[in-house]
Amino acid sequence: MLSRAASSLFWMARYLERAENQARLLDISLTMALIDVPEDREEQLSVPLLVTGSQDTFNSLYDELNPQNLITFVLLDDRNPGSVYNIFRIARDNALQVRGNLSADVWESINLSWLEFRELRQQGVTESSASQVFDWTRARSHEFRGAAYGTLLRNDAFRFLRLGTFIERADTTARMLNIRQQLALLPENDQASRPFFEWNALLHSLAAYEAYQTVYGHNIDPLNVAELLVLNPDVPRSLHACLQAIAELLEAIEGDRGRRAKRLATSLYSNIRYGDRDYIAEHGLDKYLADFLTRIQRIAAQIQNDYMGWQT
Amino acid sequence: MFQRLGITFNVYGEEQGTDRLIPFDLIPRIISASEWHRLQAGLRQRVQALNRFLYDIYHEYDIVRAGLIPAEQVFANAQYQPGMQGLKLPRNIYVHIAGIDLIRHSDGDYYVLEDNLRCPSGVSYMLENRRMMMRLFPTLFAQTPVSPIDHYPALLSETLRASSLNPNPTVVLLSPGRFNSAYFEHAFLARQMGIELVEGPDLLVRNNKIFMKTTSGARQIDVIYRRIDDDFLDPLIGNPDSLIGVPGLYAAYRSGNVVLANAMGTGVGDDKSIYPYVPDMIRFYLGEEPILKNVPTWQCRKPDDLKHVLANLDKLVVKETQGAGGYGMLIGPAADRKEREAFRHAIKARPDNYIAQPTLCLSSCPTFVEKGIAPRHLDLRPFVLSGKKIQMVPGGLTRVALREGSLVVNSSQGGGTKDTWVLEDEVC
Repeated sequence: MLSRAASSLFWMARYLERAENQARLLDISLTMALIDVPEDREEQLSVPLLVTGSQDTFNSLYDELNPQNLITFVLLDDRNPGSVYNIFRIARDNALQVRGNLSADVWESINLSWLEFRELRQQGVTESSASQVFDWTRARSHEFRGAAYGTLLRNDAFRFLRLGTFIERADTTARMLNIRQQLALLPENDQASRPFFEWNALLHSLAAYEAYQTVYGHNIDPLNVAELLVLNPDVPRSLHACLQAIAELLEAIEGDRGRRAKRLATSLYSNIRYGDRDYIAEHGLDKYLADFLTRIQRIAAQIQNDYMGWQT
Repeated sequence: MFQRLGITFNVYGEEQGTDRLIPFDLIPRIISASEWHRLQAGLRQRVQALNRFLYDIYHEYDIVRAGLIPAEQVFANAQYQPGMQGLKLPRNIYVHIAGIDLIRHSDGDYYVLEDNLRCPSGVSYMLENRRMMMRLFPTLFAQTPVSPIDHYPALLSETLRASSLNPNPTVVLLSPGRFNSAYFEHAFLARQMGIELVEGPDLLVRNNKIFMKTTSGARQIDVIYRRIDDDFLDPLIGNPDSLIGVPGLYAAYRSGNVVLANAMGTGVGDDKSIYPYVPDMIRFYLGEEPILKNVPTWQCRKPDDLKHVLANLDKLVVKETQGAGGYGMLIGPAADRKEREAFRHAIKARPDNYIAQPTLCLSSCPTFVEKGIAPRHLDLRPFVLSGKKIQMVPGGLTRVALREGSLVVNSSQGGGTKDTWVLEDEVC
């Protein structure tokens, strides 16, 4: 398929996955800010900014970190390149360029998300209406995935689209895990219950809370959480599940231009596929995740370079 | 009922949300089978002669030597591409896709208003109009023998594939991109034909061959269905600022490594100053009498014609020879004194830039308007495909002037469209 089309599909899917993740992240942060002691409220609110590395942008635009400002910044602000508003706009823009590679269902789903979000934005989002917007965003994301999975021909267009989804998802899971474990382990935290809330929030924002309960029962143990979100192949947002999908998708793409990307992805997949929790415990989760993030970003760059880059 | 009247068919439809609307009228335009058979024969004949003409003016120049068309009309024409001289094209086809604009006069006969031989557009409206009608009135179609048109993409695909000598050619559609007003049509046709929709930056030239940049490497292209004007195709030859073209495309074309549909330099065939000669071309190349009539045309470059035109400005329609889309024209009876005087000056300054035709009485058809159903004027653009043989689907795009009395049907001038029904029987 055309390199330009592959690139558009890849980024379109990345952005749509990002929209959902932003909503989940913000949702949990706002909830956590409510249950946390007032001194730590700001810390909770800063999580979405930390995960996306957008603290500086936020500080340059707003005087105070409060729920309303955060909602506006993360969801609606067109001056924030990573706002959900901008994400939907860019995703639709990309979709329009590859209209020919999408089924009517997928295109209509993306177009509708954009049109509805534009309307939502005009009405504004407050603290009390935010949860509806989060529900809406998740539902739109589910619809897009369902339409893509249920109606697209299984060709390279589909594979590049799915690659975008899983690269973004792997990246987000690793980042969220990283931030939450830092917060849970903050030495100045003398509250005994603090880590519990952090891990809880993490599981909720990755839609993995129920999965944890099913696999491990009620006790929240940091290493169990790490194992679930890194090594468990059955958790849809775990690093294992994402890397397995990435490796399989790359394998199926026609032609042999992507040898490097394939090699990088397969090697990272093997590390996780045959990884074990003791190794992570010994090395430290933070180091493990930092290494993972570097490698997943290299894979993303390599995919673009191999399949979409043309030096003329 | 009145809600229905205002129904606007979003041509970008589900495709692009609310980006653009062209009014769609629910009442179909009906053409009988016998009428269509005659039209079809006339269109075949006309397109065949035009292709012969284009071959001739880039090779033997017989028609010029025979004195039928003045040399300067051909060779000094801005659309003439000297670089096409002597270039051998497969099957000698220049115009693979033609859109011939017809009107029906008050005398009941059809006249050719204009030939579109460059990148005629509008075929997606024709197809979408039918799709919409079938969705809205399925029972009508069950009861009425309306000739199907939905095989147009298949015919177009067949035509494009036949334009190459390669038995299994790679065909692409080259579009200026999504900011072009016809982008929806480009995407639509590419999808229907299952070919890649490419833009200039997707292509590259190596050793005078054209390739597209794909995820599995560079893939050679044999046929380009281009929806970009001649001047923008190759910045090395045409407009140097063109970002939508492909540097080196022209050299590859000259080398015979790629087919362009339509060919370069076809614009000379549909120029309004060449139009008056088409009936002569039919007689000259085919030895037949033209089946479809031309609208009588005065060429302002001829002193006698000029005198007649200037004396009858209030009765005539004056057009710029290079104009298109309903711009740059004067409708004498509808214009006021000031407009006529402005045209009088312009014509005197550059008589060769203008032609004039009698104000025709375009046929009309019942159409939904604000006050109910009323007659509105319309034209018809059938799409004629030239490959191994000349083919077309029955009917074409019917455009309708929605303003009362208006004779201008162009969508850029507030025109709408209708579905066109060619009936398979006489009785309906």
